Amino acid sequence: MSDLAIVGKWTAAPGAREIVTGQARYCPDIQLPGMACGKLLYSPYARARIVKLNVSAARKLPGVFAVITHEDIPGENSYLYAEPDQPLLAVDEVRFQGDAVAAVAAIDARAADAALAAIRVEYEELPGIFNPLEAMQPTADQVLKGHDNVMMSQVYRTGDVDAAIESADIVIENTYRTQWAEHAYLEVEGGVGLVDHDGGITVYSSCQAPHRDRMQIARALGMSESMVRVITPYIGGAFGAKDEAHVQIHAGLLAHAAQRPVHLIRERRESILTHVKRHPMIIDYTTAATKEGQLLAVKARVIADGGPYSNSTHEVVNKCGEFIGGPYNVENLEVEKIAVRTNNPICGAFRGFGAPQAAFVYESQMDDLAHKLNIDPLQIRLLNGVETGTKMYTGVVVREASGMKESLNKAAKLIDWEKRDEIERNPKPHLRRGFGMATILKGAGLGRGLNDHAGVVLEMHRDGSVVLKSAAADMGQGIITVMAQLAAERLGIDIASIRVARADTEKAPDAGASCASRQVMVSGNAVLEAADSIRDTLLGLAVRKTKISKDRLDLRAGHLVVDGKPHEMTVKDLALRAGVWGYPLHAESISHFEYPTDVPEVTYRYSTEVFQFCTHIAQVLVDCETGQVTVEKLVAVHDVGKMINPGGVYGQIEGGIAQGIGYALTEELIVQNGLTKNPSLENYIIPMAFDIPELEMEVIEFPEPVGAPLGAKGIAEAPIIPPAPAIRNAIYDALGKPLYQLPMTPERILPVVNLDD
Amino acid sequence: MLPGKNSEERKPVDEVEIKLNINGNVTQVKTEASTTLLYMLRDDLGLTGTKDGCSSGDCGACVVMVDNKPVNSCMMLAPQAEGTTVITVEGLEKDDELHPLQRAFGETWAFQCGFCTPGMLISCYALLETNDDPSREEILTAIAGNFCRCTGYQGVVNAVQRAAAELRTKNEDTEKTDV
Ligand code: FES
Ligand code: FES
Repeated sequence: MSDLAIVGKWTAAPGAREIVTGQARYCPDIQLPGMACGKLLYSPYARARIVKLNVSAARKLPGVFAVITHEDIPGENSYLYAEPDQPLLAVDEVRFQGDAVAAVAAIDARAADAALAAIRVEYEELPGIFNPLEAMQPTADQVLKGHDNVMMSQVYRTGDVDAAIESADIVIENTYRTQWAEHAYLEVEGGVGLVDHDGGITVYSSCQAPHRDRMQIARALGMSESMVRVITPYIGGAFGAKDEAHVQIHAGLLAHAAQRPVHLIRERRESILTHVKRHPMIIDYTTAATKEGQLLAVKARVIADGGPYSNSTHEVVNKCGEFIGGPYNVENLEVEKIAVRTNNPICGAFRGFGAPQAAFVYESQMDDLAHKLNIDPLQIRLLNGVETGTKMYTGVVVREASGMKESLNKAAKLIDWEKRDEIERNPKPHLRRGFGMATILKGAGLGRGLNDHAGVVLEMHRDGSVVLKSAAADMGQGIITVMAQLAAERLGIDIASIRVARADTEKAPDAGASCASRQVMVSGNAVLEAADSIRDTLLGLAVRKTKISKDRLDLRAGHLVVDGKPHEMTVKDLALRAGVWGYPLHAESISHFEYPTDVPEVTYRYSTEVFQFCTHIAQVLVDCETGQVTVEKLVAVHDVGKMINPGGVYGQIEGGIAQGIGYALTEELIVQNGLTKNPSLENYIIPMAFDIPELEMEVIEFPEPVGAPLGAKGIAEAPIIPPAPAIRNAIYDALGKPLYQLPMTPERILPVVNLDD
Repeated sequence: MLPGKNSEERKPVDEVEIKLNINGNVTQVKTEASTTLLYMLRDDLGLTGTKDGCSSGDCGACVVMVDNKPVNSCMMLAPQAEGTTVITVEGLEKDDELHPLQRAFGETWAFQCGFCTPGMLISCYALLETNDDPSREEILTAIAGNFCRCTGYQGVVNAVQRAAAELRTKNEDTEKTDV
């Protein structure tokens, strides 16, 4: 095929016009006739027994259509991400501040508030379990009766770690701590439920996984899935916390109970208190190496606090373990993965699935090692980095790893790493400047052995216009643009001729969740396959008409192309002909994430095999009087395999960096005895425009050889991962003192400052 | 927190009639006295382009122009808007033509999810009203109160500079034709 006409070129997103004119409808913007206001009553305690729950007064209030408790749920009273251990509405006990107890639907917000106020709940506060290390003890009280507090405990081993440590020239051992982090998408969780003419339920949902939502809503309603429909309107960010369902199930339940549309949108405070957080982890980590800096062994123990319910904790902690050795050749590795139930905030997916915690640790260790051995941080990484064909500690043979070292070298060049000592390190007596790097890998897809597929439906009409139906949720990450570009490329038309329907379970087959940087690969491949089938029909008609053999034909810029030159016949002509002659231009395709079978057995369970590699280098200035850290400069080099949508790729990179800077320096949910002390955007400190330095970003392309559309392997998660360790290493460089805890706030920096150094 | 749609108890209901100019139209609207300008726009007038990200003055999703100044509409009571001139994101498009800023936002990927965009656009629009060639620093100052969780604000800076350049050329052209 000829050069790409659309893929890799800047283009505005298909929904851009709606967004910039304010016409894009997000859940809060949906207004329907007769729509009621829904609200939930949440637990104010981290742990309490529900002694009495009486809603009869609330039910009698004027303007109240429905008040429901666990007793009124027609089907199953539980969420179901992996394990059905979290009730939709609490039964006899609340287990974190934010467990929902009752739900109301009323004529307006005031009536709904009055109904909430009229619900009588008598709680008996119970001593909570807040320290994961105590919760792990066999004698500890169970957070969830009948369930072990240790919800996951696994050890993965490869090689002979103890012998390798024994033989090492140098062994470095540290304990790291990370914090609860909040997604803080600008649009809080919400849903709108309504009753269909046939008694079914439709829910507009701000979510990442419409088909999983549908299953959960049907389950709660005791209805068949075919009676439930989930539509995603525009979504104002998600970052993992809308992977598992939130209030859209309650919106469906309330609509069913009230028999009218119900609008259920959380307030910001409710959102911060109730939805899943990034897991805080305690990670003990031992690195063993030769004196030349060659890694010999890694031994790690990860303890994650998951809060009371499992949500996606297993998946997150498993991924943390999968990447615990970093993008390095480590022959001997042992990782113990422990996840614990507590009465702290519930935790789940957040951009990177445990990889950011792992990277903070392995990249900090790398710099500690470099410092101790007096080796340049760049050189020690180049020395140990994986290469194409390397068999990783997970047993995965990396099919394309050129991006690892290339991103290191490129980033070093961008910031002029070799000459960093010529930059003033001590611009004022109280200021110290430093440079730090981090290089990481993040797998795309759910992992070998997991159900990972997506379907699309594509239809070209007689006028050459196209409708693309997909249930892949677009939360802003841009999958809709990518799918439109791929279809346009193959059909030889412009993006404007393609209408991409927003995800709707009634229009399109399951595409799975928009998570794990997977949609570009699975939905992307499905689009290519569907488009190729229509393309084939069109070219077949062109052959019939022109009598020119197919291998000389192409479709481009709206025209049939013969030997690279535009023919007078257009794609529209062909589409019209197809309609007249009775050739359907309709294709459906399901694509499965591809895991080749002709490779050595992978030993780490659910390993990913396609890796995003990237390197960030940060230049920071530390104010030794205030402990304030300013990121002065950050360069980022990312291997995306093949860049389909530059606007989206660069957008994801800079957005990930911004979130990563927040994770490194300021973002921390303060939780005391299970209660969150800063549930507001005022007190949970997120980077604003002035906190982001001018960024230098570069994209490199090493096409993924297997299962990637045109070689593209996704980008969404990688960019949030390196900033924290890069900034940590830069602070180390500036102060000569390492830090082992996130975020690196002034309170944590000041104690290690010594101006005499 | 000021009372808004999602506030705690609001009673008794105190209705007021407010007259103001919204996006060029003189508008008369009945609303509760305790409603914020944000929820008067969204609920009473159906102008849902302006977003609620916090209802506490911390995010800038609700920024609109009131008498030529960008304000957080969640922090202003509807009656305070009596007699003012308000511009919301819905008012930027003129005669079916996007404002250069709107076009530039799309072209430079100044947003991803787009939820911050209405407020961000208005903050930038306010800047361009008084400054036709803003520096990066000046743009960052203008959007210092606009929180975006998806981007790193670089696309916004690029978009504003692109739009400013376009507006300058346009103005030069008009000046030339005027002569
Ligand atoms: S909604 Fe007004 S500042 Fe956030
Ligand atoms: S684009 Fe999503 S918050 Fe700015």
